[in-house]
Amino acid sequence: MQSKSFLKIFRPTIEIFYAFFSIFILIFLLLYLADANFSLAFKGFVNSSVGGRNNAYLFSTFSKMALISGMAIAALVAFRGGLFNIGGEGQLVVGGFACAFTGLLVSDFGFIGIIISIISGMLAGATWALISGFLTIYMGVPLLVGSLLLNYPARFITSYLVNHPFRDIQSGLPQTFLLPKNVWLPYFPNTRLDLGILIIFLVYVICLIIFYNTKHGYYSKNMGHSLSYVKLSGLPTKKIVFKTLALSGAIAGIVGSIAVLGIHHRFTDGMLVQPLYAWTGIIAALLVNLNLWFIPLAGFFFAAIYTGAAGMERIAQVPKEIATVIQAVIILFVVGKLGSLSNLSSNKGVKDD
Amino acid sequence: MKISLRDITIDYDHLRAIDNLSLEFNAGEIHAIVGENGAGKSSLMSVLYGLNLNYSGKIIFNDNEVFWSSPRDAIQHGIGMVHQHFMLIDELTVLENIILGYEPDDALGFINFEKIQPEINALLKLYDINMNLNELVMNLSVAQRQMVEIIKLLYRNAKVLILDEPTAVLTPNETEMFFKTLRNFRLEKKIIILITHKIDEVMVISDHVSILRNGKLINSSKLKQTTKIKIEEQIVGKKLPKLNIKRGIIERKKVLEVESLKISTRFSHNQPIDLFIQKGEIIGIAGVSGNGQNELIEAILGVRKVLGGSIKYLQEDITYKSTRHRRIKGISFIPQDRRKDGLAIKSKVWENAININLNDKKFSIGPFLKKKSIKNYANQLINEFSIKVDSPNSSVITMSGGNMQKLVVARELSNNFPLIIIENPTWGIDVGSIAFIHQKILDMKARGAAILLVSNELDEIDVLADSALVMYEGKISNRIPKDIKFRENIASKMLSGIHFK
Repeated sequence: MQSKSFLKIFRPTIEIFYAFFSIFILIFLLLYLADANFSLAFKGFVNSSVGGRNNAYLFSTFSKMALISGMAIAALVAFRGGLFNIGGEGQLVVGGFACAFTGLLVSDFGFIGIIISIISGMLAGATWALISGFLTIYMGVPLLVGSLLLNYPARFITSYLVNHPFRDIQSGLPQTFLLPKNVWLPYFPNTRLDLGILIIFLVYVICLIIFYNTKHGYYSKNMGHSLSYVKLSGLPTKKIVFKTLALSGAIAGIVGSIAVLGIHHRFTDGMLVQPLYAWTGIIAALLVNLNLWFIPLAGFFFAAIYTGAAGMERIAQVPKEIATVIQAVIILFVVGKLGSLSNLSSNKGVKDD
Repeated sequence: MKISLRDITIDYDHLRAIDNLSLEFNAGEIHAIVGENGAGKSSLMSVLYGLNLNYSGKIIFNDNEVFWSSPRDAIQHGIGMVHQHFMLIDELTVLENIILGYEPDDALGFINFEKIQPEINALLKLYDINMNLNELVMNLSVAQRQMVEIIKLLYRNAKVLILDEPTAVLTPNETEMFFKTLRNFRLEKKIIILITHKIDEVMVISDHVSILRNGKLINSSKLKQTTKIKIEEQIVGKKLPKLNIKRGIIERKKVLEVESLKISTRFSHNQPIDLFIQKGEIIGIAGVSGNGQNELIEAILGVRKVLGGSIKYLQEDITYKSTRHRRIKGISFIPQDRRKDGLAIKSKVWENAININLNDKKFSIGPFLKKKSIKNYANQLINEFSIKVDSPNSSVITMSGGNMQKLVVARELSNNFPLIIIENPTWGIDVGSIAFIHQKILDMKARGAAILLVSNELDEIDVLADSALVMYEGKISNRIPKDIKFRENIASKMLSGIHFK
């Protein structure tokens, strides 16, 4: 009895203390290996994730946050319906290219051109997602496999397109021509932060409405919880699958479009793949246990970790590789902690969404 | 040997699951624990076999106070439980399953199967159990699998056996065999704790019976000192209402007509299947589960491939129509597996109160849900079917099995569709809910619904059906009319199987 009550009271405290202690030791060891100044590294980390002159770094974190949150929403939309669409990357790339390409064609129309470009990015992303849905429903290719494999053609087809037919040869890089300024997403006044984050916020709100107030959201949620129930109930399974995938792909396409119109102003080979936006988005969606409400928080967290690690590299001369490992350590720690918390809370029957 | 629970109290968040409960279990006794779902049987047992550590009170085992830190700890001290859902690995043999987790391995980690086999065989002989140790578990019947679970505990030297609803999956014959084994355990002075809903079985097999209601011990006495009626009343807390059987009129109008139906199943050599149901009629399909009943239902609902023949619903040929089409046209379905097929259990109650009728103007406008009126409707069902749940916003997963089933029944019957397909509607639920659901089914019949009732419980078919068919290896018998020899006729066809028609 005695040992029991002792455990009950002190266990959580010990656990948290232990976790903090071990992460501290780990980071210290890594920095020691890298021969870096600990306090300088810490300062660099904080300064470049949320600080900077005129909050410049904070804004760059926000801009990353928009992209990561967007991809997290794209993944979440599908996962919630039990559809493991891990082809976000392909849908993102295809959407980005389509937007850049359309942007060049409609650059004369200014604001309308921006809208047309984003819509074409959405359509491209949705189409790419629908292909994997089609393969699943009519050819029996598991969605997990189909959506993943479609990432490669997306990447290499766009790579070919910007290397050959649509290449801006003058620039010397495999990329499209720079978009004219009138189809760039405008910046917030006196900052280098584009309006993309507002568009993602709009997507977020629309998805909240779809999730909790529409028939489609209702169908899709139930399908995620029990496919056989939905089938036997005579709900329109195929329609739900295609709609959900199209929505997921379209959101990825929007994210690609924002990266093009707001940040890079052209499509460069690999620019949406290297930063792992799609995969980080998937991790973020899983981290919050597929609860859409918490996506902005998760998006900010991941964005801050990335910009912070970059700052550590810049200011404290921590080698890039070590900075990346530290980044992974922090993410694993938080994912582990939050994961166990959310398990606890779902046991207690607290609102699951 | 003796194990006692003293003043056990278990509190979940704001719910007292077990309230200051004391019980004693003696060697060589079969002790039945009965009570409705949510009465606290499972919570109490989870304390006894080391799963629930957050309780107050004491466990006294052979005069020593004990505290198990895990189920593994409990089994090492001789306390084991067989769950309703078996924990076996299909691809392994019986022997491998038995020793799994407790392998008699040598210093290098190799398992000496030659040495262990005779030991287990000796165990089987002691208790007169018939089992081929080298058979793959996937080839075993449900009854045999259950026996494997029990042998597992015997191999781990369990002195206390906790059995959770062991007969829920057995045929009458298998149940008898199972009881024989239990009696052998009793002879060997084991403590046997039997959690069950079936009072009839309690009367046959147990020595001692304890009744739980709302986490409290209502009564615990020798079986001889109580009666079946007393036990039933103590379980429910009041007198059970008698079923109100309105015979109603069966109209000569065929609602469902299945003609020379061939389905893709492993029984296809025994087809085709013919049957029809008329308005206001309950047709029972009896038979041991796994004889093609489920496949037949799937074909009628359109989720299984049809190879030939036809299915007509109100004169319309629906053989190749989609499930959606059929359901919208007016087929209700109450599946056996409520947790998987009947509900999305992680969704909320209101989200499960509707499905095919979502397009109703009452529940949606265009693409949008009318949440408020759906919730009102859910509330209405909750009241009408006396479903015990906090609110329509609760997760279905927090409900007891009986209340989950009531929710399914409420949703499906409230559509007032002409055809209702029901599969084992009272599987694993409490006496009160069973009576309630039976009454609702009879009410639907009186209102003119055609009902197809698949049930593995002979009693259920006997009480509800107007006539019955027996399924055996995919083959379906002629109609057995409801007369004095109804039960006997069904039972004999269930056994003889091949010789009917």
